[in-house]
Amino acid sequence: MDLSLLPQALVSGVLASGLYALVSVGLALAIGVIGIVNFAHGEFFMVGAFLAYQLFVSFGFDPLLSLLIVAPALAVIGGVIYLSTIRFVLKAPELNQMLLTFGVGIILQNLALVIWGGDPRSIANVPYRSIGYQLGGVSVGMVPLGSFVISVALVAALYWTLARTPLGRAMRAVAQNRVGAGLVGLEVNRVYLVAFALSALLAGMGGVMIAVIQSPTPTVGLAFTLKAFAIVVLAGLGNVRGIVGASLLVAVAESIVATMVPGGDALRNAVFFAIIFLVLIWRSRKVA
Amino acid sequence: MTTPILRVSGLTKRFGGLTAVSDVSFDVHEGEIFAIIGPNGAGKTTTLNLVSGLLTPTGGSVTLDGADVTRLPTYERCHRGLGRAFQVVQPFPEMTVAENVLVGAQFGSRGVSGAEARRRAEAALERSGLAPLADAPVEDLNLLQEKRLEIARALATRPRVLLLDEVMAGLRPAEARAAVELVRSVRDEGVTIVFIEHVMPVVRDLADRVLVMDHGAELAHGSYAEVTADPRVVEAYLGAEEEA
Repeated sequence: MDLSLLPQALVSGVLASGLYALVSVGLALAIGVIGIVNFAHGEFFMVGAFLAYQLFVSFGFDPLLSLLIVAPALAVIGGVIYLSTIRFVLKAPELNQMLLTFGVGIILQNLALVIWGGDPRSIANVPYRSIGYQLGGVSVGMVPLGSFVISVALVAALYWTLARTPLGRAMRAVAQNRVGAGLVGLEVNRVYLVAFALSALLAGMGGVMIAVIQSPTPTVGLAFTLKAFAIVVLAGLGNVRGIVGASLLVAVAESIVATMVPGGDALRNAVFFAIIFLVLIWRSRKVA
Repeated sequence: MTTPILRVSGLTKRFGGLTAVSDVSFDVHEGEIFAIIGPNGAGKTTTLNLVSGLLTPTGGSVTLDGADVTRLPTYERCHRGLGRAFQVVQPFPEMTVAENVLVGAQFGSRGVSGAEARRRAEAALERSGLAPLADAPVEDLNLLQEKRLEIARALATRPRVLLLDEVMAGLRPAEARAAVELVRSVRDEGVTIVFIEHVMPVVRDLADRVLVMDHGAELAHGSYAEVTADPRVVEAYLGAEEEA
């Protein structure tokens, strides 16, 4: 193991954590406010990526501009999916809900495969993709740095919305006591709709960034669904700060193994889930 | 006589084979304090749940200020001026006292601005005696304070009719007296009160009229003196209580 690579691994891990946190807070919103375990969450991320790709190919839109288009588009897609499917299973057993969202995810994924095919697609030709900075032996790419900054800004905006705005108070009230919320005048079903649309919007914006960072295929969503679930489980629901912390932990560990262990890149996902398992086992021992 | 602000007519609720509320009717007039009493299992809370919209009746209707609200969801009834405080308190557990009340102020009526909501929330905290605890987390409250919060949050929605479900239960006599004063002062501001209560002195002190329920149906109806003099009430309710 070459310790001189450690600073680089740390920096890369921190930069990657922003995107994890962004996707995970969206998932936590759906689970926490609506109580719906959404296995289609990563597919919103995927749809965001491919919309940004298409906007780039068809119109030459810069991904930064696409963020502003994909955000409302994903809110609408999320809203339509909520109204056409999710709202009918709110009182169904959890297993039914999971099956439904899983099915919605598969439909979205296959639609994307029909439209874009199975090959990796990427927004390669943006000018800033090749820009990087060297800071004391650590190289920082403009794209990972930019996606980190945007992700952190979005997560912070969500945190502020939840803490300070009427919409945020409405979402927290519904999450904490939906009977009480209805009795003081909150239209719970509308809060659900807004929360689900917002959840899809956040995932979609993450997707725009992955289209620049990587070369995603239409199956990129599932990996992010699983990772977001793991992070939410690690952090606990309704806990934006916890999600940021958990994202940092797993992203840095993943990066360290991928950078410093020979052949470690193939172990990325294994490391990710190994940490989750360890924390869950350790936590259940504390409880027992 | 003026239109009653709340009219309950032939209200019936069946759960499978069990009839929890059977053909209950009563009118409540603006500014009145109306009590519903009866032994445990008489259907009092179910009746309030039907009025506030937590349950949908099997039959009958609920009319608020002349408009039929029988099938409306709870939030819609709240917007039309129906407030509710529970026996088992229903706060938002991870918010502060002030935030709990603010949610009521903000969403209890349509189109309330942020500044107006804050003003209403402060007023509700003030009059329910919770202002010093505004920034306290809900989990730090004792029972009396929780009940006050429940009332404060309902008041912040600016109700015209306030439904109170055993808000005195579990309170010490001095605390109950303070709660009685609070309810009376709320009425004096023009809010109509419908309350369920087991503590008979409270009913005597507060209620303009009393509905006695037993086995889901009306047993008697009238002033406190009238219903407590009714032999059926003495037998079914007061008598049963003495035996217990």
